[in-house]
Amino acid sequence: MPILDRFDLTGRTAIVTGAGSNLGREFSLALAEAGANIVGVGRRPEPLAETGAMVEAKGRRYLARPTDVTSSAEVNAMVAEAIAAFGSIEILVNNAGGGGAGRGKTLPELTDEDWHEGIDTNLTSAFFCSRAIIDHFVERNYGRIINVTSGWGYRASRQRFMYPIAKAGVISLTKSLAMSYARDNIRSTCIAPGAFPHELTPELEQRAGMQPAGRFGRMQEIGPLAVFLASDAAEYMNGETVLIDGGAIAAGLTPAGLAPVFEGEPVLEEGARR
Amino acid sequence: MTFFDLGGKHALVTGATGPLQRALAVGLAEAGANVSLTTTHATQPEEVQANSILNECWSIGRTGEALTVDLMDEAALSAAVDQLEGSIAPIDILVNASHAAVIKPFLDMTADEVGATFNANLAVTMTACRVVGRRMIDRGHGRVVNLVSILYDRGVPNCAVYSATQGAVLGLTKALGIEWVRGGVTVNALGIGFYEDVPGPQQDPELRAPLERYIPVRRLGTGADLQGALVYLASEEAAFVDSELLVVDGAISAHG
Repeated sequence: MPILDRFDLTGRTAIVTGAGSNLGREFSLALAEAGANIVGVGRRPEPLAETGAMVEAKGRRYLARPTDVTSSAEVNAMVAEAIAAFGSIEILVNNAGGGGAGRGKTLPELTDEDWHEGIDTNLTSAFFCSRAIIDHFVERNYGRIINVTSGWGYRASRQRFMYPIAKAGVISLTKSLAMSYARDNIRSTCIAPGAFPHELTPELEQRAGMQPAGRFGRMQEIGPLAVFLASDAAEYMNGETVLIDGGAIAAGLTPAGLAPVFEGEPVLEEGARR
Repeated sequence: MTFFDLGGKHALVTGATGPLQRALAVGLAEAGANVSLTTTHATQPEEVQANSILNECWSIGRTGEALTVDLMDEAALSAAVDQLEGSIAPIDILVNASHAAVIKPFLDMTADEVGATFNANLAVTMTACRVVGRRMIDRGHGRVVNLVSILYDRGVPNCAVYSATQGAVLGLTKALGIEWVRGGVTVNALGIGFYEDVPGPQQDPELRAPLERYIPVRRLGTGADLQGALVYLASEEAAFVDSELLVVDGAISAHG
């Protein structure tokens, strides 16, 4: 089959967590553009509905399924409902996550709740969704799991614990899934986005000059990578994490590429102390 | 497919004499690119091979030329690229696929063999990057993709010098990617594991079966497996992927 046809996702259905905004919306739209139907998962119904209208405008089917992905009961119910609605699911994009938990606190100040919130949101959610879908994938001898980590999954930062730790865990989860289910024709890969701001403030634009590429990622640049990894053109890729960060980690004095490559002073994470 | 169309682009694939290189060239052609090739020696087997690859690209409706040029000779390559860009088009995509796996105990390798291994894997890649990269930087646009074995990261017996060259090519990839990204040129690598038609233990009939069982995906890689990753990296859609290695190895490097 000619290579461009091997990228095609027509007739497949993807569950995308965190589909209501930012990268999750971009993943949904790009997968839909390549032919896939989408199950949009997230906490808040309104943004999921907005993503849905955009997916449906591309002529694909869409199911909005508000879900707390840190609850295994809710995740199990969501996956069962998605399978029932579409007959089968071929692609799972574990995108949900966020860096808010415990922001600005030092280690002694972090509570048990902060720890669990950070780990659950960014790592446990991907574990729950993968566990919930895996029997379905095995039964059909086909599945694509795409996890989403971050440059923070590779490197550390002062007084920042849960997010980098959980994101490193996501890279590891990807390998464990790859090893465990390769024989069932299930492929697990991971996307590591650099800085993809959803809006460019003047302060951020100033920092863009400290990125190796001289700019941040543009929202529309993230989706095609998921299309490639979800497609049969990536059939022999498994367990692999792909950085899309304009060279930030390769240049890397910090994961977000905040270290100056050419000039200027390093910028610390907001709220970081010591 | 909305994404990854290489229509109108011109790609140069170096070392285009093997099945892996054929798959890379044909993948680019299928995605729409015109494809040119380099071979090193003006010998009949190499030229027959290169022309056969070129014919396959032409049969898809593309154009391109096969150059016989010593990639160790920067002046010769520069002249050849001038001629090629004049007759076809400026080169948008450089695929450094010139690659020579050398399997021999370290202590048995002569100094000449060590040098030749570095030349065949690293020096030719650097020359092509210098000659073609300079033109890409001048034009403010380009994609460079280097072929790297995952032996850059893992030790196996009798591959020490070859492994060292692969680490060197990866280091070159990451550093050049950073040096050139603001000039509109990305530099990335394609990582291969155990592939059909590439020298290695997989070519030993006794080792092949256990190796295939050991690879999580349970088969050797083929050139076709690399086409998707190459087309992705060569595409406009991958503009923010830089200094990165995409490993296409059936998960063997995830193995414990």
